[in-house]
Amino acid sequence: MLDVIDKDLLKTVADLEGLPKGAFNIRKNGKLLKREVSANINIESNADGSGIVVTIKPGTINESVHIPVILSQAGLYDVVYNNFIIGEGADVTIIAGCGIHCGSQEPEGHAGIHEFRVGKGAKVKYVEKHYASGPGRGRRTLNPTTKVFLEAGATAEMELTQIGGVDEANRTNEATLGPDSLLLITERVLTEGNQKAVSANTIILAGAGSRANMISRSVIKGDSEQDFYATMEALAPCFGHIECDAIIMDNGRNDTVPSLKARHPDAALTHEASIGKIASDQLMKLMSLGLTYDEAVNRIIQGFLK
Amino acid sequence: MLELKDLYFSVSGRNIIDGMNHTFEKGKFYGITGPNGSGKTTLAKLIMGINQVSSGSISFQGKEISSLSITERAREGIAYSFQQPARFKGITFRDLLAMAAGTDDEEMLLALLRRVGICSLSFLDNPVDAKLSGGEIKKIELATTIARNPKLAIYDEPDTGIDLWTIQPMVRLLKREQKEHGTTTVVVSHNRAFLEAADIVLMISEGKLVYKGDLKGALPMLNDLSVCNYRKCVGDKDVGCYR
Repeated sequence: MLDVIDKDLLKTVADLEGLPKGAFNIRKNGKLLKREVSANINIESNADGSGIVVTIKPGTINESVHIPVILSQAGLYDVVYNNFIIGEGADVTIIAGCGIHCGSQEPEGHAGIHEFRVGKGAKVKYVEKHYASGPGRGRRTLNPTTKVFLEAGATAEMELTQIGGVDEANRTNEATLGPDSLLLITERVLTEGNQKAVSANTIILAGAGSRANMISRSVIKGDSEQDFYATMEALAPCFGHIECDAIIMDNGRNDTVPSLKARHPDAALTHEASIGKIASDQLMKLMSLGLTYDEAVNRIIQGFLK
Repeated sequence: MLELKDLYFSVSGRNIIDGMNHTFEKGKFYGITGPNGSGKTTLAKLIMGINQVSSGSISFQGKEISSLSITERAREGIAYSFQQPARFKGITFRDLLAMAAGTDDEEMLLALLRRVGICSLSFLDNPVDAKLSGGEIKKIELATTIARNPKLAIYDEPDTGIDLWTIQPMVRLLKREQKEHGTTTVVVSHNRAFLEAADIVLMISEGKLVYKGDLKGALPMLNDLSVCNYRKCVGDKDVGCYR
């Protein structure tokens, strides 16, 4: 059922050696490959068959669900709409990710639109990795969208990673935070060659006592381009922070535009942004520990994107 | 074990290191001192290869190293502790220590912590980032230098950011390393505790080596040199030296 390429992609994007335990839904080339549900986590196709609805029962603790997507069909652009309904007081991990294997001249792509409704006091950790490989020269496109709605006291921790091989990415993250909710987003994107990636983020702190922290780490190699936009809008007494760092190597190009909008006098919003080459004192330190220049660069990038 | 011959380092026609000659003997503890801007740190950086010599030679254990990279000098057995250590994103103390020691074996890393006198194990997984205090990052810097098991260890102002109560234990640590591992130790410092611990004090002024010997002999000269090295500070409209 899973061939060698599928297994390699699953290992890379979802750390899976074969099929996972517990609830999962594996989508291959636009179709359901395999699905399992558990006592607390239900997965079903949505009404028009364009995606899945994952429903997690209230109070579900320490369970996880894997929903990887793999693509290896030339010329296919797969669009999927997935909904996640996380019941009150649950504490779960969702592992998504898309791996593309391109073996021809034809383009391949995937757009995953993921909507999360996180119930009162619930916690969700969402891990998403995007990766493309293969000998083909077809353009590989990945356009993920996440929409997050946090109810009172809910927490969402999002780890979003694009680790290589993706020619074009338009990444969109939107979130609306209820009272006393917490959102942590860490996005890591590596581009090289002539790749392009755009990340557009809009976070609305609607509830009193809500908190959001968005961290972006970009590495831009070769002639690649990355643009990062983040808007944090505060409608209530709240705290929000944006931290965006970009390392430029070779001829990379980067626009970083953090934007803070306070619509309440007790809002506290901050941002820090930096774009630049690897600091020479970091390189010298690692070289003084016996690493070569290239080893030092790799180690610094590896840590930066960790 | 380390020989400097006719060493010059110039920037924009000005000699920062101005014809220096000296031989560092194996297993000795050297304190390098002198006024601000005299060339102490520059000399240390020339030895490590962070700055490249303008002319002259540096030989280490009989091998000319002045054209070698930082990496090559590190692999020859020279370790360097930076005055202002680098801070990273996503790299922990454990990562740096493992790189320095060439192993990520837990037992070996714990043994290193004991050797340098860091007792808190949780400290090992601290990111080496901007959140660390000046004292904490200097301890990490010291530990990664010692973890190299160097033949020659260079410490550039190791007491920067360190509280008063930590300086003596730090001196004792460097002396113990010298004694137990035969480490040739070079400490750039203004701090009397390090200079008292030194077998030989080297004093640098205006890029020249102006004294070598014990601290006692250096003190009158130090007092004289440290008054003022801004020679233009003599006119009626100048504020004059606060001393």
